[in-house]
Amino acid sequence: MKLTAILLTGAVLLAGHLPGALAREIKLLNVSYDPTRELYQEVNAAFAKAWQAKTGDTLVIQQSHGGSGKQARSIIDGLQADVATLALAYDIDALAEKGRLIPADWQKRLPNNSSPYTSTIVFLVRKGNAKGIKDWDDLIKTGVSVITPNPKTSGGARWNYLAAWAFAAKKLGNDDAKIRGFITRLFKNVPVLDTGARGSTTTFVQRGIGDVLISWENEAFLAIKEYGADKFEIIVPSLSILAEPPVTWVDRVVKKRGTEIVAKAYLDFLYTPEGQTIAAKNFYRPRLEEIAGKFKSQFPEINLVTIDGAFGGWKNAQQVHFAEGGVFDQISSDRR
Amino acid sequence: MQLKFALMPALLAGSLATSSVLYADETADTIQAMKKQIEELDQKVRILERKREIDVEATTSKTPTGPRVELGASGLAVNSADTNFVFKIRGYMQMDGRFGVGETAGPFSDTFLMRRIRPIFEGTLYRKLDYRLMLDFGSGITSSASNDGFVQDAYANLRLAPEFQIQVGKMKEPIGLERLQSGANLLFVERGFPTLLVPNRNVGAMLQGDLFSQVLSYQAGVFNGASDGGSTDFQAFDAGNAAGRLFTTPFKNSGVEALEGFGAGVAGTYGRFTGPMRSYLSPGQRAIFSYVTGTGVLPNVLADGQQWRLSPQGYYYWGPFGIFGEYVLSSQDVRQAGGGVSAGAKATLANRAWQVAGSWFITGEKNSWKPVAVNEPVTFTSNGGWGAVELVARVQGIHIDDDAFPVFANPTTSPSSAFGWGVGVNWHLNRNLKVSLDFENTDFTGGKKNPITGNNEQVIFGQVQVSF
Repeated sequence: MKLTAILLTGAVLLAGHLPGALAREIKLLNVSYDPTRELYQEVNAAFAKAWQAKTGDTLVIQQSHGGSGKQARSIIDGLQADVATLALAYDIDALAEKGRLIPADWQKRLPNNSSPYTSTIVFLVRKGNAKGIKDWDDLIKTGVSVITPNPKTSGGARWNYLAAWAFAAKKLGNDDAKIRGFITRLFKNVPVLDTGARGSTTTFVQRGIGDVLISWENEAFLAIKEYGADKFEIIVPSLSILAEPPVTWVDRVVKKRGTEIVAKAYLDFLYTPEGQTIAAKNFYRPRLEEIAGKFKSQFPEINLVTIDGAFGGWKNAQQVHFAEGGVFDQISSDRR
Repeated sequence: MQLKFALMPALLAGSLATSSVLYADETADTIQAMKKQIEELDQKVRILERKREIDVEATTSKTPTGPRVELGASGLAVNSADTNFVFKIRGYMQMDGRFGVGETAGPFSDTFLMRRIRPIFEGTLYRKLDYRLMLDFGSGITSSASNDGFVQDAYANLRLAPEFQIQVGKMKEPIGLERLQSGANLLFVERGFPTLLVPNRNVGAMLQGDLFSQVLSYQAGVFNGASDGGSTDFQAFDAGNAAGRLFTTPFKNSGVEALEGFGAGVAGTYGRFTGPMRSYLSPGQRAIFSYVTGTGVLPNVLADGQQWRLSPQGYYYWGPFGIFGEYVLSSQDVRQAGGGVSAGAKATLANRAWQVAGSWFITGEKNSWKPVAVNEPVTFTSNGGWGAVELVARVQGIHIDDDAFPVFANPTTSPSSAFGWGVGVNWHLNRNLKVSLDFENTDFTGGKKNPITGNNEQVIFGQVQVSF
């Protein structure tokens, strides 16, 4: 009887290893920042096709977009994101520190500090560039109307702000008071603060407000692609910042939903030649050298500072500039 | 004069021409100024309209300032606007059927019963202080001076940090692996033999936490003492124990899927317990082993002194497959408290139990220690799926210390060991509804004059579980 029991148990356990689990439909939610809609529409279609070919499973990938900081808060508050593809590492750090949804060392889990593509900050102006905008210091001139989102809610806006700060620091010799004065004047020229980068693009492009949009490079290219080179043009400033939007799977959610494998594979796909090509086609700068080489002519060469080099990392930048009572709050009260 | 008249028209024409040029310049300037003004006004209007648009967007997506009430598959939850305060009502009910079949000997109550009826009230205060109250109104639950069986859990847990938490109240002692699993999430309708040798719920205080990104968890506490399988919320006897458990999932964050679901640990108790000891039950919930408790010439046997337990344990999950195992060694000083020839005899008895149980989701769900997330739940609508189907199997055994016989236990009525195996199927229709069907066979060594253990026990269990 004992032998029968052991054999029976063994048979059931072994059966667990057999392949051929029934093909099924899997749902995945990618919670991302504002301007990645088009990028992930294309990535999702390509990955779902590859996943079905590999496993037979039908993959339905849903997207959610908004200001990066706002999206991070939504995930912490319970939005069931299988993966988070946000604008900056600080917002994903919040998932670890405030939400305890991912481990603190999440950034080490994927190559390039979990940033599969990069971007930078440029200016988008109306065709003809009536105000003659060439560099950051043109944005603080009287009568120039500047569009940028709110750094309190938008990751892109924080990159914009820091790029402007880096320029001012270089030009004004790291004089803190003068730099603050520069940034204050810049934000005095901002008539509307949207919550996200896509909102600012709407304000500038569709609502016709402002002379210049401080924009993600990919967003600026996309506006020209969509609305025509006869309506807008891109101005590359003398100095900008290397933006590294990171990605992660959300451990607590994927474990609960049983989507860990597919979520990881989805993010790995972003690093493949196919994923990198899709990123480049959507005007994100690819990491893979072979793909970067193919799209070299698309991206202008820009003198770039890094968040670590110029600001001591995101934690420090956040604490100094964007935390409650930080520099941005101070200049906002000056602005009022 | 003629010249004067002759020049007049020329002067007039020249004057008119000059004034018309001047007038034209002035008009162009005015038009330019007005155009600029209109453009500025246009921008102002556009800005105002956009700001209004943004305000409307902000209002519609604004975080609520009042409490948020959520009602769903996980029960009822009320959160304060800042999420610092949470109150949840959950619960589960298990309606069982238990039938002795085949070679089952002796009296067996074929019956339907309400195995567990457990409302759960839990929540958080000031973001850091969690509390839980779980009651049970299942069949046969009683309340006595030493334990109120209607109150299963009643504790508060202060989460100072994930690594350092303090829990006080009535709770499960951190020993038995299967005992620590929720009663709503068991593989089989009834837990295995190792659970018979570990304490259930006791009142005490415990430190606990997760270290190294949840790679290592620990619990260490002091509790009222209890006999094997027992619960207490009032210490009626000289007793008390310290309990501790270390459990590691070393590959949890390794990224190697085949290893991430591996966990292993060890738990133990050390202390004193005096007083009557519980009988051990078969899978069919019949008393199969009892210490001598008769009257007349036969003595009573009581726990009387040192008590300790040791339990190595582990599990492994990979994809739809899962297996867990545990071993428990329970040592207890005992004494004959009655009369007769063996009066006053003492011994230290070490009983042992073990089990290995496996499961496989044939519908492909990811297996884990926690409740399953059903891929295609039954929703009772045209869009619903068929749920998840899980096959389960286990082998288990229990061995009573040889020194227990014949002085402390009667070898003719109490078996010295038992070996069991079981198979079953769990149909998780969705996260709220589960239907189980098990078959358990148990062989006994010794105790042949006991009508219950005189032959194998073969039992069919059925269970419908509704949880929310």
